Amino acid sequence: METLAFLAHGFAVATQPEFLLLALIGCTVGTLIGALPGLGPVNGVALMIPLAFNFGLEPTAALILLVSVYYGCMYGGRISSIVLNIPGDEPAMMTTLDGYPMALKGRGGEALGLSAVASFVGATFATIGLTLFAPLLVQVAIKFGPAEYFALFMLAFATIGGVTSGSFAKSFIAACLGLLLGTVGIDPVSSVARYTFGAFELYDGIDFIVALVGLFAVSECLVFLERRHDADKPHIQLGSAWPGMKASLSCKGTIGRGSVIGFIAGVLPGAGASLGSFLSYMLEKRWLGKKGDFGNGDPRGVAAPEAGNNAAAGGALIPMLSLGIPGSGTTAILLALLLSMNITPGPLLFEQQPDMVWGLVAALFIGNIMLLVLNVPLVGLFARVLQAPSWFLMPMVVLIAFVGVYSLNNSPFDLYMMLGFGVLGYVLRKLEIPTVPVVLGLLLGGQMEFNLRRAMSISGGDWSLLWSSGISVGIYAFAVSMIVAGAVYAMLLKRRLGLHS
Amino acid sequence: MSEVGPAQAQQELRRPSPVGDRLAGAVLLIVAVGAWWHSHSFVTGFMQPVGPGAFPRLVAVPLALLSAYLILRPGFNERWPDRAALGRQLAVIVLLVIYASLLEPLGFVPVTVVGSVLLLRLFGAAWRQGLIYGVALALGLYALFEFGLGMPLPDVPWLTLPWAGE
Repeated sequence: METLAFLAHGFAVATQPEFLLLALIGCTVGTLIGALPGLGPVNGVALMIPLAFNFGLEPTAALILLVSVYYGCMYGGRISSIVLNIPGDEPAMMTTLDGYPMALKGRGGEALGLSAVASFVGATFATIGLTLFAPLLVQVAIKFGPAEYFALFMLAFATIGGVTSGSFAKSFIAACLGLLLGTVGIDPVSSVARYTFGAFELYDGIDFIVALVGLFAVSECLVFLERRHDADKPHIQLGSAWPGMKASLSCKGTIGRGSVIGFIAGVLPGAGASLGSFLSYMLEKRWLGKKGDFGNGDPRGVAAPEAGNNAAAGGALIPMLSLGIPGSGTTAILLALLLSMNITPGPLLFEQQPDMVWGLVAALFIGNIMLLVLNVPLVGLFARVLQAPSWFLMPMVVLIAFVGVYSLNNSPFDLYMMLGFGVLGYVLRKLEIPTVPVVLGLLLGGQMEFNLRRAMSISGGDWSLLWSSGISVGIYAFAVSMIVAGAVYAMLLKRRLGLHS
Repeated sequence: MSEVGPAQAQQELRRPSPVGDRLAGAVLLIVAVGAWWHSHSFVTGFMQPVGPGAFPRLVAVPLALLSAYLILRPGFNERWPDRAALGRQLAVIVLLVIYASLLEPLGFVPVTVVGSVLLLRLFGAAWRQGLIYGVALALGLYALFEFGLGMPLPDVPWLTLPWAGE
């Protein structure tokens, strides 16, 4: 009941005209970014961060804007999956399997309408989950000391390594690289300059916003340059999206199951939306058995992954807000935003800044309704954006990244750094070393080291303090079980792919 | 194209690549060893059980071990770009470095107009398209940032604009 009172207060915050406008802008921009092939929530939010900064938004406003972009991207990703058979972002991959066949049969509009409703239900379900579970998690987290936090960071890396890529070694390499990059700069405890090699620009450390834009937006453009010409974009008659609303009624079981599975996948640190949509598609296929016609344009094959990935996107906000541990690439970027505004998410945030937390939750509910309204009648408009030529879109992305990053400190050094990270991100992608753990390492490294050193100064240098409490042992055990689960999942995936080829 | 599912299409782009992974492993191993070695030069402060060098060393050890593993057991890579693609990527990076270095000396508008026209060309626009859209893009961005969002961008040094200097 206490939660309801907080939420009511949150709605009072979020319905201020300024915040409503920001949510609307965020939802629209997010849907556009999500719809464009190649640009997903990670790149979209990374690109928007410098802008939010330069615009001088206060933290609550900036967070509402960026989270709306995040939710919008999750909605938008499905549009190019269905219309072009190219996933707009990674989590929308599973939507191509049945969405594009539906579009080929002339039921594209229906698929878009249905997936909008499924997205809405999934995201709303997850937001309700966030409202209920985040405060509970906070009550546990309030008991955490530095040793427990250190364990929690280990958990984040263990899980993100387990799920994000096929190779454990590579994702842990990425995490170590990020952690090492995070130590560059003046050590806050001892004021010793580390790995700066005399470059005074590095004394403040590597600005993670600059690194993010480079790793995600610039490297995406480099990947794009591999192909010279635009792929032929087929023109498909979409038809109205309204029949999809009706179709969603007959898929309500599918949408419900997809939402639950996606939500669970989202809450687990490191799993994120791609796993959410994959699991809900696969499990729904298994559940329906012969009654389904998956892969040939079954509407339920569109509803399940869309409910799943949107529910996962909402679920991923829970560990980010209540523990300060991001569960996915995009929530890592949102965490970066908060940290650079000197706000540390975690249990204290809920106590000290209830306006912000609950305003954000309320904004998510409102944003969801806006997105549903934007995505049913106006979906044709968004689909038309996909016809814009990439030779225009990609340079625009590069220039926005440039202006945004330059304006942070008015320093060309940041631009060189961004380009450097762009090349690094590109090479890592080619090597199949995931970039998300690098960002996570860069972001959490400082906190992780700080907690380690605080724990050590409490114990007087006795390392056994790290595993002396029940909670931290529990977290380590959970981390190990996540690694094992990740290994089993990778094995199943490999066997699955092996069977297909 | 339409017959190939995304998962399969991705599979086709992947190659077992011992050279790429071994090279990466070697570079990372050098980074890890270098970080370990360099961390000993950080002066440990008074009364600190864990000094500034401990955490980097704690990270360097697993990084070194994992890099060694990568050298011994290389895995998959995505397909590396061909020569033409590599040329375009290099050209874009060089263009952007020059752009960044000229931004302050010459001002935002002239550098961005030239830069965006060339950038559009490199991304595959025809000259005509590149010229029209490039100029439009540069001016549009200037208008958006300077007036819409109120972020001051570097002015042309020898020009005083009526709205500059606020």
